[in-house]
Amino acid sequence: MSRRSFFGLLLLLWPLGLMAQRTVQGTVSDAETHLPLIGAAVRVKEHASLCTVTDPMGRFVVHLPDNKACHVEVSYLGYGVQSRFVPEGKAPVLEFRLSENISQLETVVVTATRTPKLLKDVPVITRVIEAKDFLSTDVGNVQDLLQAELPGIEFTYSMNQQVSLNMQGFGGNSVLFLVDGERLAGETLDNVDYSRLDLNDVGRIEIVKGAASSLYGSNAMGGVVNIISREAKEPWFANVGTRWGSHNDWRSCGSVSFNTGRFSSSTNVQHTSCDPIRMKNDGDFGTIYANHTFSVKEKMSFSPNNRLRLTGRAGYFFRERESMVTAHDRYRDFSGGLKAEHDIDESSNVMLSYAFDQYDKSNYALQSGLDVRSYSNVQHTLRTLYNHSFGTKGILTVGGDFMRDYLMSYQFSDGGAHLQHTADGFAQFDWTPVKKLNVISAIRYDFYSQAKLHHVSPKLGLMYKMGKMSLRASYADGFRAPTLKEMYMSFDMANIFMIYGNPDLSPETSHNFNLAAEYNKGAYNVTLMGFYNRVSDRITTVWSQAMNGMVYDNMQPLTISGIDFNASARWDCGLKMRLSYVFTHENLHEGDLHTSSTRPHTATARIEYGKNWKNYGFNVALTGRALSAVTCDEYTSLTDLSQTQRVTYPGYMIWKMSLLQQVGRGLNLTTTVDNLFNYVPEYYYNNSPATTGTTVALGLSVDIDKYFRKDIKK
Amino acid sequence: MRKTFGLLALAFAMTSCNGIFSGLYDEVEASSPYGFIQVNEADNSGTIYIDARDYEKWTYISLKDKLIDTSNMVKEEPEPRHWDFALHRYDVKTNQAAAHETDFLTMDAVKAHGHYDEGSFTADTAGRVVVDMSTMMDGYLGYHESNVNKVLSRWLSVDTGTMPPIYTLSGKVYVLRLADGTFAALLFTDFMDEASVKGYVTIKYIYPL
Repeated sequence: MSRRSFFGLLLLLWPLGLMAQRTVQGTVSDAETHLPLIGAAVRVKEHASLCTVTDPMGRFVVHLPDNKACHVEVSYLGYGVQSRFVPEGKAPVLEFRLSENISQLETVVVTATRTPKLLKDVPVITRVIEAKDFLSTDVGNVQDLLQAELPGIEFTYSMNQQVSLNMQGFGGNSVLFLVDGERLAGETLDNVDYSRLDLNDVGRIEIVKGAASSLYGSNAMGGVVNIISREAKEPWFANVGTRWGSHNDWRSCGSVSFNTGRFSSSTNVQHTSCDPIRMKNDGDFGTIYANHTFSVKEKMSFSPNNRLRLTGRAGYFFRERESMVTAHDRYRDFSGGLKAEHDIDESSNVMLSYAFDQYDKSNYALQSGLDVRSYSNVQHTLRTLYNHSFGTKGILTVGGDFMRDYLMSYQFSDGGAHLQHTADGFAQFDWTPVKKLNVISAIRYDFYSQAKLHHVSPKLGLMYKMGKMSLRASYADGFRAPTLKEMYMSFDMANIFMIYGNPDLSPETSHNFNLAAEYNKGAYNVTLMGFYNRVSDRITTVWSQAMNGMVYDNMQPLTISGIDFNASARWDCGLKMRLSYVFTHENLHEGDLHTSSTRPHTATARIEYGKNWKNYGFNVALTGRALSAVTCDEYTSLTDLSQTQRVTYPGYMIWKMSLLQQVGRGLNLTTTVDNLFNYVPEYYYNNSPATTGTTVALGLSVDIDKYFRKDIKK
Repeated sequence: MRKTFGLLALAFAMTSCNGIFSGLYDEVEASSPYGFIQVNEADNSGTIYIDARDYEKWTYISLKDKLIDTSNMVKEEPEPRHWDFALHRYDVKTNQAAAHETDFLTMDAVKAHGHYDEGSFTADTAGRVVVDMSTMMDGYLGYHESNVNKVLSRWLSVDTGTMPPIYTLSGKVYVLRLADGTFAALLFTDFMDEASVKGYVTIKYIYPL
């Protein structure tokens, strides 16, 4: 063939070549934030060699060699895989919006070991609830969230509609609540003010069940709930939202944050209010008091260089409860803190922090307009934490705290005050001798000045991985130091009796054993855990004939044991399911100072389906919780423990349906129907749900930044 | 930078050891005045403030003499010679008077109406009042026989069906027809002191009406 003939043939075939080759292009972004995903893998299923990655704008281009129909598949670490069909002869522009996949996500958690560690590698079973989980189910506070997600947790009313927690047999003072690792000052009837824990700026919540005093000291007997704030990662972010529910239940909030790389700031404001709610039947409570809250939080970070990070924060919280026609209860909290984190070298880092938290209660008399403080708990905490990594073999964590704890209370003689200093030091070694085995050991020493308490808390945990199965076993010591209230109370209970403190109280202690098996395959995760706690010297009040009043005292030992089961699945099509169940057995003996009212069987369920398109996305979630009845023998008299009466508190089941819709670039609409099957208690016991039946709620929020930021896909 | 950080932390801690923003709160006077704390001779009105916390005592009020006195019924202390009505906690009795609950909600409305002698007036009846709460935990209360005016005692409803009890002020003006035929108007406005301690009663009055 001559050269002329050859080029002539090429010219004839050129159009055929053009017809046979197609260019498919598109973008890949996060379904929730709409941020581009850089480096996402794009491949054509039918042509193994055809693959590429997305550029910094999340764009990709693939040249198909023929006109045949095919599938373009996109994957990205931590996200579900998505595939799109490309019809024969077509060259569409494809838009992929990937959703995070928790079951595959290498989630980093900090609570169980006080060092960042992948969830799958933590030797203690840790449950993580991420922001998108509670946004999709329209949950506004920590109480509702924990009850919806975790079985074995029950928030009930105690005297005067104060909220009490029962977490698998442990009360509010035996479960440690932390916000970004910091304790909360103040308590009412042994529980912190849970209404302080709004979810406005929360990134995730980590829950570790079981004793953790070797790392966290007092109160960490039944578990640790660590509420971790959202990090300001985006260049800037702004959101405003409001939600209305039955009984004029309003919640309005706003968030603004920015991050310049070296400097970041996050500001959050929230206001809530609710009318009084009249219950439908008789009970231990008749009308839930009207209330309103206001909170504002500011957090700033500055990194002068790549190794040092300085963080400052401040917060104010206010709650008013309309408990009487002539006077209201007011609660305020002022918090602040400074923290310095320094990476000494690639294997070591040190942290030094100071935290301040002041929780006040006051009575606001409507007629006189006077707002008189009756309670103030002020805590100053200095903390240091040092981590050193020995390659992949181990991490040494050493730290210590010093706390000044001041308490002024109407429950002390003449409204007086008491002061206590506490100090502690701890060390933990997280050892991975071989890839399959992880051993964690820790020990902590705590000192309490007023209680003259010296306590040592050890811990040992093992994790062994066998393919898709992980086995975990742990022993941990738990303890709770007597509080200033329990040591020095002198309170006249409405001229009925006195309640006296006891400076000679012993600390509550517990031995906690956990054994867990976890199976994780693809979209499926199943966890089964058995737990056993032997609790000694639990602190309670007992009638004293000699003093003609109630006195704080230590109880006889008791045991709490049970089973915790969790199964979850998450498919790429957008369907998610979770089923959790807890059996708890609290073994108390006849004549003990308390009788058990812990519900033996509790379960939670969640089924969710969501899908996102270019200008519209939705997520519908059905969540439910079921609590069994509990029968207990209650003492008929506080002064005489010889007579009991059998009381049965009925079980119940409540379901909730939520629909979250994302319209356009940043408009979010929430529609919720709670208590779907209209459950109304025949009698409102303090541990009955405070519901009047089916309620509805509507919410609207706008991500303002999504309308202006150029780095977000339209 | 780090030195500044440390100094800031220290300064913050030192200046706020026992708390900050105490100026947000009001202080209660150590001893609030009791008795006829406001008297307006021009329109015969005033305000009475009494400490009725003691379960064993009656607090006697003489509108004519503008005097307050107490007596311990358990110790069988004698009543004062002159009194018009008396309070024990939230119970009310009268000195041979009779009471009527009006529909008026303010003293100004009563003043505008002027002299009031309408509807039925209810005299005291025999009853009993609680004098000992300390035995409640043993399942009973200590009582003492005493006359009580059931209409006047309606000024505060105490629903003990829930814990704590629900307190509801009637908010209504009561007219008292005294033994000598004169009339008084009473409006009970509070049952707590400035620190929200229960058992302190504030009463607005017009006498003679």
